[in-house]
Amino acid sequence: MPTKNVADDRISKFKNKGKDPAKLRDKRINECVELRKAHKDENFLKRRNITLSSLPDEEALSPDHVLDEKVNSLTIEDIIKEVNSDSRESQTRGCQAARKLLSRERNPPLKEIIDAGLLSRFVEFLGMDDEPTLQFEAAWALTNIASGTSWHTQQVVEHGAVPAFISLLASPLLHISEQAVWALGNIAGDGPAYRDALIDCHVIPALLARITPETPVGYLRNLTWTLSNLCRNKNPFPAVSAVQQMLPSLIQLLHLSDKDILSDACWAISYLTDGSNERIDVIVRTGIVPRLVALMGHEELSVLTPALRSIGNIVSGSDLQTQMVIDAGVLSVLPQVMRHPKASVQKEAAWALSNIAAGPCKQIQQVITCGLLPPLVELLRNGDFKTQREAVWAVTNFTSGGTVEQVVQLVQGGALEAIINLLQVKDAKTILVILDAINNIFMAAEKLGETEKLCLLVEELGGLDRIEMLQNHDNEMVYQAAHNLIEKFFNDDEIKELKVDTTDDAFVFQTSEAEKTFKF
Amino acid sequence: MSMSLTTESTNDGPTVTEAPNSSESKMTSVEKKDKKPDDVAEEEEEEEEYVVEKVLNRRVVKGRVEYLLKWKGFSDEDNTWEPEDNLDCPDLIAEFLQSQKSAHEGKRKASSEGNGDENKSKKKKDDTEKLRGFARGLDPERIIGATDSTGELMFLMKWKNSDEADLVPAKEANVKCPQVVISFYEERLTWHSYPTEDEKKDDKN
Repeated sequence: MPTKNVADDRISKFKNKGKDPAKLRDKRINECVELRKAHKDENFLKRRNITLSSLPDEEALSPDHVLDEKVNSLTIEDIIKEVNSDSRESQTRGCQAARKLLSRERNPPLKEIIDAGLLSRFVEFLGMDDEPTLQFEAAWALTNIASGTSWHTQQVVEHGAVPAFISLLASPLLHISEQAVWALGNIAGDGPAYRDALIDCHVIPALLARITPETPVGYLRNLTWTLSNLCRNKNPFPAVSAVQQMLPSLIQLLHLSDKDILSDACWAISYLTDGSNERIDVIVRTGIVPRLVALMGHEELSVLTPALRSIGNIVSGSDLQTQMVIDAGVLSVLPQVMRHPKASVQKEAAWALSNIAAGPCKQIQQVITCGLLPPLVELLRNGDFKTQREAVWAVTNFTSGGTVEQVVQLVQGGALEAIINLLQVKDAKTILVILDAINNIFMAAEKLGETEKLCLLVEELGGLDRIEMLQNHDNEMVYQAAHNLIEKFFNDDEIKELKVDTTDDAFVFQTSEAEKTFKF
Repeated sequence: MSMSLTTESTNDGPTVTEAPNSSESKMTSVEKKDKKPDDVAEEEEEEEEYVVEKVLNRRVVKGRVEYLLKWKGFSDEDNTWEPEDNLDCPDLIAEFLQSQKSAHEGKRKASSEGNGDENKSKKKKDDTEKLRGFARGLDPERIIGATDSTGELMFLMKWKNSDEADLVPAKEANVKCPQVVISFYEERLTWHSYPTEDEKKDDKN
């Protein structure tokens, strides 16, 4: 057996043995804190928007690491001195220090740098083609200032940065040109005023000239994003001439496979299609619709979302525009999108379907033929409320434009039952839309002479009770509509008798205890 | 089939005739008062044929309904407004009216609220990925903790000459500083207790 001393030595090395409990506790707490901190930092870093690009690796700096890693974070006072000096070296040092401050995660000192009067110098530096490091640091610093609020962006613009940046687009140094693309993206993204100012400065041809087969992916990502900002915003929309200039390149970019490029290019299209039918026409005429439909099925949510939005916008246009989307195969992609795990995707899909269902009966037939009724009823039953709201519109539009046979199929698919169950929602507008649908279904039934049967069906589904209750609803339009429905279709004294079915018409309204599915 | 609806005026304006293949564009005889395409400027005496490609818009001027027409073979700059009485292209007019109708009945444009899913309107360029773990170029001092909540086993590493510890993957530490890892495990060895105190003492040898 070992001597006591050796045992003691070894024992003291153990985690817990022979240690003062208080010390142990402190140690545990510190450890937990360190673990938590490290974990938090790690997650923080993961969430940052890191874009790979042609830009050189920069040494990481942060005020927290002042002691251990190589540091030269200057104070703003020092920066001012350096930047305003006459030596290129000092200027570069100061500008770089400013850039580092402006790139830090927590509270970059945008206002302080502006208030220090440094912007004019930075813009000057942008023009120094013989000092690429200085140009680059200044471009980066100004990019980050322009990424702030409208006020911050305004400061950058008012110090004359725009023409300087547009010139820099042509820099032979890719990383500098790319930085200019980024800065201009921030300025364009501020709003329609600066967007149009940039367009007036001929930014578009300068940007498009940078697209070559050799352009690296990272550069293209930034460029696509900037283009999307030039397509963005309404009141007013960007000029059609500007849009026409950008479209061929956007189409090109939409045929690449990088998900970030695809995502931003689709966003650009979604902005451009979010308007009048004439605007939609400009896009549709490029022949891009099939590609958009394909991208609707992309596995990346960041691509699927704007592609779906674009398609949704296009089918909110004319019947002709909608037909082009149908011809491109949207009805075979839509079911899977309607089953997407994300609720907002389901909602947008339902909205798109509701607009397709607002078309002529020929298009409604295509909706049925392509099997869209079952997923629609599924959404009515199980979707979240916003999705259900859109799905209800789909049903109403269907009943409004559909033929009698088509309406029958809709009911047979379970849609009537589903919308009756939604009569208990609080949203008055939705209730009105549902009552409208029920009204339309009754009108179809009238054409078949099946009104009484439909009444029985509605009653069996619990609809009569709900509609009767709605006559007491707070909302005036709701109780009027409910009342009208009852008056029109339910008040006939003869309704209780089931007519003998002598017609060979396949569509017969029936109630059946045995069958769950109602044939009509 | 060639039809022409003549107008009251004896103006030698061109006559519009139907393109033989197209079922959509019908004929219309029109007095083109405002604009004549360049290539027929000299031929005003002859009857010219113009084909309506599409009806683009509708307006009412002094109680008269007029339609904006796109002419086949001409650019949009040559579009003209023509009184409906002069026109005989009911299909095109119907198509236009239908498109207007669909725009109002049932079709609903995107809500202006947006989803918040849109891509960012502005982007700040951060420092490139902060150097951490072994990439910091520091020497490991000791491991002070371990966790696998990220899905892989990570050690919390205290570095020499630094107060800031951070996480490193165990896999990496095992290779780069095996002795440090061993120390960590050794410090934490525990023996499970057995029934008797005596047996416990023996086991510890």
